[in-house]
Amino acid sequence: MKISLDWLGDFVNWNDEPERLAERLTAAGLNVEGIEHVRHSFPGVVVARVLERGKHPDADRLSLCQVDDGSGAPVQVVCGAPNVRAGLTVLFARVGAQLPGDFQIKKSKIRGVESCGMICSATELELGADGAGIIELDTDVPSGTPADELYGYNDTVLEIEVTPNRPDWLSHVGVAREVAAIYGTKMSLPPTWNAVEGGENLGVKVRVENYADCGRYTAWGARQVKIGPSPRWMQNRLRAIGQRPINNVVDITNYVMFELGQPLHAFDRGQLAGNAITVRRASAGTSVRTLDGQEREVEAGTLLICDEKGPVALAGVMGLGNSEVTGNTTEVLLESAFFDPRLVRRASRRLGLLSESSYRFERGADWDMVERAAVRALHLLQEHAGAYVVRDWADRRDPDYRPAEPVKLRVWQVNRVLGVSVTVDQVAQILQRLGLKVQPMGNAEAIGPGAVNMMAHVPSHRRDLALEVDLIEEIARIHGLDQLGGRGGYRVAGGAVRRPADKARARLRGWLSACGYAEIVTSSFMEAADHDRLGLAAGDARRRTLAVVNPRHGGDTQLRTLMAPSALAVARRNLNAGVQVPVRFFQLNRVFRPGLAAGRPLRHADEALLPAELEYAQLVVAGWRETGLGGVPCDLLELRGAVEALASSLRLRLTLEPGGDESWLDAGACWRIRDGAGRQVGVAGRVTDSVLAAFDVDAPVALAEFRLDELDLEPAPVRFEPFTRFPAVKRDLSLLVPGSVPYGALHDAVTEAGGPLLESAELFDIYRGKGVADGHAAYGIRLKFRSAKGSLKGEAVDAAIARILGALKDRLGVVPRT
Amino acid sequence: MQETIERLRAEALAAIGAAADEAALEAVRVSVLGRKGSLTGLLRGLKDLGDEARREAGAALNAAKDDLNAALTAREAQLGAGRPAASSGYDLTLPGRAPAPSGSLHPLQTVLEEICDIFHGMGFSRDDGPEVELDYYNFTALNFPDDHPARDIQDTFYINDKVLLRTQTSPVQVRMMERREPPLACVFPGRVYRNENADASHSSEFFQIEGLVVDRAVSMADLKDTVDTFVRNYFGASAPTRFRPHYFPFTEPSVEVDMQCILCGGKGCGTCKQGGWLEIMGAGMVHPNVFRAAGYPDDRYTGFAFGMGIDRIAMLKYGISDIRLLYENDLRFLNQFRGVQ
Ligand SMILES: [Zn+2]
Repeated sequence: MKISLDWLGDFVNWNDEPERLAERLTAAGLNVEGIEHVRHSFPGVVVARVLERGKHPDADRLSLCQVDDGSGAPVQVVCGAPNVRAGLTVLFARVGAQLPGDFQIKKSKIRGVESCGMICSATELELGADGAGIIELDTDVPSGTPADELYGYNDTVLEIEVTPNRPDWLSHVGVAREVAAIYGTKMSLPPTWNAVEGGENLGVKVRVENYADCGRYTAWGARQVKIGPSPRWMQNRLRAIGQRPINNVVDITNYVMFELGQPLHAFDRGQLAGNAITVRRASAGTSVRTLDGQEREVEAGTLLICDEKGPVALAGVMGLGNSEVTGNTTEVLLESAFFDPRLVRRASRRLGLLSESSYRFERGADWDMVERAAVRALHLLQEHAGAYVVRDWADRRDPDYRPAEPVKLRVWQVNRVLGVSVTVDQVAQILQRLGLKVQPMGNAEAIGPGAVNMMAHVPSHRRDLALEVDLIEEIARIHGLDQLGGRGGYRVAGGAVRRPADKARARLRGWLSACGYAEIVTSSFMEAADHDRLGLAAGDARRRTLAVVNPRHGGDTQLRTLMAPSALAVARRNLNAGVQVPVRFFQLNRVFRPGLAAGRPLRHADEALLPAELEYAQLVVAGWRETGLGGVPCDLLELRGAVEALASSLRLRLTLEPGGDESWLDAGACWRIRDGAGRQVGVAGRVTDSVLAAFDVDAPVALAEFRLDELDLEPAPVRFEPFTRFPAVKRDLSLLVPGSVPYGALHDAVTEAGGPLLESAELFDIYRGKGVADGHAAYGIRLKFRSAKGSLKGEAVDAAIARILGALKDRLGVVPRT
Repeated sequence: MQETIERLRAEALAAIGAAADEAALEAVRVSVLGRKGSLTGLLRGLKDLGDEARREAGAALNAAKDDLNAALTAREAQLGAGRPAASSGYDLTLPGRAPAPSGSLHPLQTVLEEICDIFHGMGFSRDDGPEVELDYYNFTALNFPDDHPARDIQDTFYINDKVLLRTQTSPVQVRMMERREPPLACVFPGRVYRNENADASHSSEFFQIEGLVVDRAVSMADLKDTVDTFVRNYFGASAPTRFRPHYFPFTEPSVEVDMQCILCGGKGCGTCKQGGWLEIMGAGMVHPNVFRAAGYPDDRYTGFAFGMGIDRIAMLKYGISDIRLLYENDLRFLNQFRGVQ
């Protein structure tokens, strides 16, 4: 909303620099976002008279004129306007004049004839929309008078941010009230006109079908209207606040709206059918032609203004083309009304028609301004459109309308909520400055929880003040928020406890970042095609997604049910950028699964509509092509190692079990991740080549992901166990292992047969090739034995090794390498 | 004899002290204690002395020898500073091998955790809530009337009439109050959504942190002090704040909190649009209608709430000019946050 200080000055005086005024308004809650200086001036443009009009020797459409611009000798100028003629008083741009749009007038030759200046049209000076001919002035001022003396305009405009609770600030008078309250001065309302002429009837009957939809509807008549441009000062002010002047009638209704906040609508009475106006809801199947010429279907229930044939306006939103004021209008029916904010809002949203009028009505108009604004507009129509105002007017109002209830106020509560100690008098003064009437109550001086100190009567333009706390906010605003505080801040007794899950997340993030993984934050949306790219089966529950029904942009609309697509996108981006190989990253993020239980207590019936939000931790290694121990790709080895070490650093039990059934993971290179209770909580493995191709990633990607929300993240308490100080005995085994035997089985057999003395068995080498039989590999395993009872004897260790070798041979056909 | 020994000892100690490197020190050792060294020569000459004199001179010589050996060792340690035998020939200028390459934490998460930590220190616990939320919790319970322009402040992604993507972390306030009785002091960080096009300063997904305190007599003055304590802790001691009245449906009185620009100290710069102040949060006293929605009896409690954008604070803190960088996950961006905990 733009506020012209020139205009504001009609109603209040503040004696302060614009910058300081802006600061004080901002401090009171009327946030000033910008200060703009508006200067409308026309350097080098003067009033001139056309002395002579002749024909241009070489061009039929051009005239060759002699002009008296007050400088003495006549000036020769070529003019293309059809209306130029001798005797006209015009605006003349001399050579060197600066016109809007950075256009400088130079001496020139037009079709071979010298032209020293330009006779201006309204568009060339941005004084109006008429560009067809030059401006014809009706004035006696001498030639040579600068145009600035007639048309110059200087103003300062504040751009203010008006919050939705303060529709009263959407007008100059409303802001003037605030300025008066801040500066402690008086403000005045604009002059109104009292109809005294004539005795005719308005000749229009108004019917409001339901007062709940339209609390008040007034209609006024103005006859013998002469449509033309509005006065210069009005155009200047409208332009200063960013409005385009149209004609006197339209400008006047707009002007009054920006002045008083009440939207008005002017109908061309001549275009209205019959003699009745009805305010009613639309029935199904109604369509109207709006001002933009479009035929639009109107939702049933939309509030309409109708004449005897049909709709002539969408109530509070905008008029229709069939009754618009045009250059031919001679009689105006002026509407000033009070519509239900919700109806205006709904109509405006559904039709996508936002207007200055709907903006004000949906925030709530001022009941008391309905009549006043109409009378103000009639006054202006009379002065600037030559209107003859009909004394009779139609007024339909809700008989049940009541002004706002007075609000009780406890000064005790003011001090409790604000943390201040203001007195009853201070409070009363502030409210009075804001235009409220304060009625002291019985125990006016006593301050306490039960003591109502005053009743505040709220003016009609402040219907936002309905509760005690609304008044407290006003007191805070005007009393000032600078002095608050200084008491050290609120501290909750007993302090806070960190949740185990938060601690675990923090440790997990710290551990992963220290291990080389970069944390990423990815979008909650996924592409519609991602399910297919991942090759999910038709019946996969994760194909069921929630989607946004009203996306504003062309982006993705489905909420993700999997983390994998975001990992592949980030891998692709960074591999293509070639920053480093391998790329390591991790994320802790949510997926959204409709149909699964939410996993939280439900208090509201509709909560069953909400999806489960599953939190995943995901680790990704991308672009690593080397192989490691036993020919297994390094990324897989790292992934497994990372998940296990991560689990151990969080004191969690996570195990990786070979195998899995994710369509997007290579069946021969994936694991299921299980928690301590054996439940599957995640997967790990290499993404299949076809899925990589579908996501346009041209390097291997290995990832592990598990449900954080499924894990018990409260670590089991540590209990110290005595350890033995006796030395360990180490023995290395070199084993000849057939290709069909997985290391896991071998490890299990060793551990089992090793008995209680075997402390650990660690694989340190796998060798294939020269000296090892085909289809076999040599495994180097380091065994560590220890006893709690004493130093181990060689015989005991030998016996254990014999048991191990026996078990390996019997169960797996694994023998020592010789 | 004694004098000779003493002179020799003093000279040798001086020479040891003066030895500039290990070679010079070795030369001193050889000249005194070597096979042909001066002290060795004296020891050899002992056999020519009488019993009594031999015993005395022997004791003195051995004492001098011990002293010199100790001095040699000490000087050697000084000169060599524990250097391993030069014969190993390692090239110790080769690049090191870290146990793991360095990763990084995302700046948004880092800032979020830092802020939670500060509030934790002030006694606030932490909680979270769903991102896909009911219209009821996101709007209705927060005193946003149906069909009211207040809802336009936030462009909302709707899933259906009743379900939406939360536009703010504030719905967690109501969920928390439904579950627990005051006194409450909590923060709720998390992801929120706005239905708008992305540009350098807007993202359709971003992060907020909400704070809520409810007790029998919590005041706006307490809010101011809490905000000031936070700003002092997070941005440094010299950042004053100011409250500007504002409007949020779920608080009243409502304010926007500005902090004096930390980049220019309030003089005005590009970041603060020359105004000298940076808006850092919205805040206010919990509206009675919100207490009512949470099921608290009228008038029993007062409370304050505040909410701030994590993205904006991260951008301010790290000098990031385009919000989209936070969501692109480009390692050239993320790697710059290595070592930031
Ligand atoms: Zn600055």
